[in-house]
Amino acid sequence: MKPRNIKLKRASFMAAFLAMAGSLAGCASGGPYPLDTLSPKSDLTRSILSLFKEVTILDSIVLVVVIIAMIGAIFVYSSREGDPGEPSAMHSDVTLEMLWTVIPALILVAITVPTVHTIIRTQPETWPAETLEVKVIAHQWWWEFQYPSLGVITADEVHIPADRTIHFAMTSKDVIHSFFMPSVGGKRDVVPGQENQITLKADTPGEYYGQCTEFCGTSHANMRFRVFVDTPADFDKWVAHQNEPPVKPTEGAAAAGAKIWADAPCAICHTIKGVSGFSKDYTYGFRGPDLTHFGSRGTMAGSILKNTPENVALWIKNPDAVKPGANMPTLGLDGADLNNLVAYLESLK
Amino acid sequence: MAAQPKALHLEQANYLEGGGIYGWLTTIDHKRIAVLYGISALVLMALGGTEAMLVRAQLIVPNNHFLSADFYNQIFTMHGLTMIFLVLMPLETGFFGNFLIPLQIGARDVAFPRLNALSYWIFLLGAIALNLGWIFGGLPNGGWFGYANLTERAYAPGINIDYYDIGLLILGVSSVMSALNFFVTIVNMRAPGMTFMRMPMFIWALLVTVILILLAFPALTVGLIFLFADRYFGSHFYEVIAGATPMLWQHLFWIFGHPEVYIMALPAFGMISEVLPVFSRKPLFGYPMMAYSIILIAFLSYGVWGHHMFATGMGPVADSAFAITSMLIAIPTGVKVFSWIATVWGGRLRFTTAMLFALGFILEFTIGGLSGIMHASAPIDLEQTDSYFIVAHFHYVLFGGVLMAILAAFYYYFPKICGRFMNETVGKWHFWLTTIFFNCTFFPMHFLGEWGMPRRIYTYAPDMGWNFWNKFESISAFCLGASFLLFFANIAWSWFNGEHAGADPWDARTLEWSIPSPPPIYNFVKVPVVHSRDAFWVEKYGDVEASGLGEKRVNVEFLPPASPEEVAGIHIPAASLYPILMAGAIFLAGLGMLVGWFRLVFMGLGLLAFCAIAMSFEYREWGEDNPHQVSESFLGLDNRKLGVWSFIGSECVFFASLISTFMVYKSRSIGVPDAQILNIPLTSFSTFILLMSSLLMVLALAGFQRNNRFWGTFWLFGTAVFGLIFLGGQVYEFGSFYHEGMLYNSNLFSQCFYTLVGFHGFHVFIGVVWLITVAIAGMKGKIGSKRALSVELCGLYWHFVDIVWVVIFTLIYLMRTINRA
Amino acid sequence: MSDHAIEHGHGVHAHAITEDHHPGAAVYLLVAVVLIVLTAMEIGVFYAPFLQAWLVPLLIILAVLKFILVAGFYMHLKYDSSVFTTLFAFPLLLAMMICGSLMLLFLYLGHHAG
Repeated sequence: MKPRNIKLKRASFMAAFLAMAGSLAGCASGGPYPLDTLSPKSDLTRSILSLFKEVTILDSIVLVVVIIAMIGAIFVYSSREGDPGEPSAMHSDVTLEMLWTVIPALILVAITVPTVHTIIRTQPETWPAETLEVKVIAHQWWWEFQYPSLGVITADEVHIPADRTIHFAMTSKDVIHSFFMPSVGGKRDVVPGQENQITLKADTPGEYYGQCTEFCGTSHANMRFRVFVDTPADFDKWVAHQNEPPVKPTEGAAAAGAKIWADAPCAICHTIKGVSGFSKDYTYGFRGPDLTHFGSRGTMAGSILKNTPENVALWIKNPDAVKPGANMPTLGLDGADLNNLVAYLESLK
Repeated sequence: MAAQPKALHLEQANYLEGGGIYGWLTTIDHKRIAVLYGISALVLMALGGTEAMLVRAQLIVPNNHFLSADFYNQIFTMHGLTMIFLVLMPLETGFFGNFLIPLQIGARDVAFPRLNALSYWIFLLGAIALNLGWIFGGLPNGGWFGYANLTERAYAPGINIDYYDIGLLILGVSSVMSALNFFVTIVNMRAPGMTFMRMPMFIWALLVTVILILLAFPALTVGLIFLFADRYFGSHFYEVIAGATPMLWQHLFWIFGHPEVYIMALPAFGMISEVLPVFSRKPLFGYPMMAYSIILIAFLSYGVWGHHMFATGMGPVADSAFAITSMLIAIPTGVKVFSWIATVWGGRLRFTTAMLFALGFILEFTIGGLSGIMHASAPIDLEQTDSYFIVAHFHYVLFGGVLMAILAAFYYYFPKICGRFMNETVGKWHFWLTTIFFNCTFFPMHFLGEWGMPRRIYTYAPDMGWNFWNKFESISAFCLGASFLLFFANIAWSWFNGEHAGADPWDARTLEWSIPSPPPIYNFVKVPVVHSRDAFWVEKYGDVEASGLGEKRVNVEFLPPASPEEVAGIHIPAASLYPILMAGAIFLAGLGMLVGWFRLVFMGLGLLAFCAIAMSFEYREWGEDNPHQVSESFLGLDNRKLGVWSFIGSECVFFASLISTFMVYKSRSIGVPDAQILNIPLTSFSTFILLMSSLLMVLALAGFQRNNRFWGTFWLFGTAVFGLIFLGGQVYEFGSFYHEGMLYNSNLFSQCFYTLVGFHGFHVFIGVVWLITVAIAGMKGKIGSKRALSVELCGLYWHFVDIVWVVIFTLIYLMRTINRA
Repeated sequence: MSDHAIEHGHGVHAHAITEDHHPGAAVYLLVAVVLIVLTAMEIGVFYAPFLQAWLVPLLIILAVLKFILVAGFYMHLKYDSSVFTTLFAFPLLLAMMICGSLMLLFLYLGHHAG
């Protein structure tokens, strides 16, 4: 090969090398990735991953073919100004055109058939008898979880038992959100006036992250949650605990805090079962998360903060500073009152 | 006919010279309008690029406080809106389309030059309307896709979404008007001999693009009208409380939105198909399949919109159907990519900047297309959608694809536009820096998406594993932005100081290179006669397959300039003040809506009506048949008739969207009133009246065609009277409903009914105004007798409105007992 | 498309002759009468109790007939270049597809059905 356009060739190969190095670097650079979509922990996400792997391989083959063809066209099978001889004038070849229509079509069929199969398999219309129903209710900007058959209502953190079919039935109280838990369930939009669903069976106990993935307003970025896949035994323990009445502290800061709770307007939006009532039509006591066992949760405020006394104080003092646009008003609590209230809330294990 | 520019020797003037500022404000020359679009779009590109820089600056580190959450949401919204509606579309259709279509098909201008100018001024003012928030605060902040019900007053109380709604409505008018213009131009004004299969591929691409615009924008318009009604008139088209669903917005939006991405992609395909053959000295590979694949892509693009909604719970049947159609659309796209590579294969390559960008396009677009195939598989999309994986995908197709094609076209066509080359050295730096930093900015987004980073978040936690690549991307993005400064500087410098270019600096293949650079006002001295594809190449070298290495038979650089005698017979339509005035009127009306000052709205609409009517009388040949235009046209048809039919086609989609909403919502409406309130006897009478008015209309046309001015005018007024009776019936009907308690926003039925039937009534009203205008013109003897075109056109519109009533009467009134089909 | 570009130069009269084939007022009046009859039939179908089961298909057929008559005769498609018929047919098809798909999606499929 004559040294034609050495500069161009060198530059292209440099660019290509950097690109490849970059891609590999991407694969190699360190985790952990709490929202990783490539670490499936349920039957649903494993089906998705196997489809993804298949498509990635096919896509990569096509890309390599295209790159090789381009290298051939640009560097090998072409001439430059000043070269002797006539360039080709080929501008039609029926065989070639048929090949590059039929072969991609076959590749696409190879993708489409398992795609449709997976769609149908992962969206069942009936569920086995022991399926656990979890209701997900999205709010601006936090997640509420209800277990109708178990009488549990909580927020930010959802627990599900492993190796049992779970049916998430989801709706929104305001705008469209999206329930994204990549390891366990992929995502589904959560639409007001409509009940969407995800059916899955998780297989690996652990703590997994989730986040809202449909732009839902100012604090869309702050609407996160945690999924706990428990062993069946741990799950039963958790349910039993959630069904216990809330801690009623009798002394110390927590007791003082309980009094502040009783006087403050918190109960208009938040429920502590047995302590503050709620209306049957769910208008009173349901605008904010259920706090009955608030102290037992590891995260708060849409899972953007760790549940520590400092963070709870920060939140109550000025919700809007922590979560722009938050619907919770500033109560004007400070100093000892605030600390007592925090102590009370943290005592609600 | 009309005045020619004074004190200018037409045969020597190029289109850039003369007229002063007033000349530019009133221009109707497609080339000047193109330059106006180009400058505006480049300024807006700088704005959109700055918005991107702000986004990346906020995301460079986790938990950043550079931008507030609310401002970030405004900025990412504006970045999307600006790049799509104010940069890519205007550059492709407004700038390149406008400049090149007449030149490539051998025409002197587009079919409707004043409408062309009007499109530009409406575009400019629409762009300003969308961006008013920079001055008054409150930029649109609901994302470019503005999903309901986040955009309802309850969740978006400020003016932000109003700018969005009204800005996009205004911009839509501009786009559809342009599309209609280009459609008629391409179909009917091609030079003799230029059959469809001999057109440049860019013209194919634009032809199909404008069909997409005509038939996709109405769906968006209807969606925006519903949003407007919700926000201003208290209706509930997207609100659950009334039984409606925000999903309606998504469907209407994506029925528009998916064709919209092809509206952006197809012109780019056309540009690449122009550049590659020239710099390979080879004909485009597989021309027929390239043309058919464009048609197939456009056709399929109406069937894939649900792939934007795989996560919304449409159910397995819909998910599967949309997955299948989305995969299908990859086939013709793949055909194009392979054909482009085969075009280059075996050629004699010249690596000008334009060629480099074109080659880069192939690779980047392919990468974007391959990630698109992943998204087309619904289950995979459940992990990928709404994540940075999607952001990577569409930036690869829109930036690495469409924008790089546009840049290739810039470097290629700049000499034709202003007679000077862009600096090639700076251009090559621009190319390499852009390619490197583009890939560095956007390729890692595939990783971030795989690691779950959602879209549209103003910040992220530090423990997600996203920190390094976000920082990497942000720094790369800043460098990418800087490389664009090179581009802008190159344009600015080269316009005044670039190396001079002749008519055919690249030794190219198509007709636009056969005339001087910059072109004269009239484009071609003599309309060319075309005998083959790549007509100019064949004229130079004798054969499409010629390598171009031999002697030229014709060297346009040495053609003598046109003589005054040759030029004397060329008609140039005069400049007009009405386009800019009408755009101003529309802007006033929009402004009135935004500030809630309805007097301003009516003033604006009134001024608009006045200008429209005045403009239609501006040229002496108004209403006259135009045998000159018809005989010179490719299909032997009148441009205006083609225009009205194209408009009717667009209206079909408009009414279909309104009717679909009615059909879908009527079973969800809560309570009374419902369809039982409809008065069948009264409406039957109105239906008879409207049908008979169509009869009167054809009698009027027949009268004029038999040169019977009296009866022609008489029947025209008769039609108008019957139209008014129909309107009277509507007013009575609405009034009686109002008294029975059916307000506009009473329930879903009432708002759907009033909107659909109200818009139909509005169309009747416009028809009556049109009828009376034509009737008065008829009385004054202004209507030509041979075909009485102005009456015929009014008639077409009138009969169409009648046909729509036939559908409405059947579906809404007579089928009122059917709650669910 | 067509290769008779050169003929256009002197083809204007040929086209004028085709274009000038207008039906006389008699045809228009006849069409009007048929339209009235069809509309009366539609209203009849609406009121006739024994036809309620067939309401939808009957009304659609009648409406389509009226549509074709107005488009073919009043809008002159029968006599004009087929370009116009194509120009109208394609958006109509698309409009029906949009209507049909939305009705299918909202009324019969998915979780916002019913």
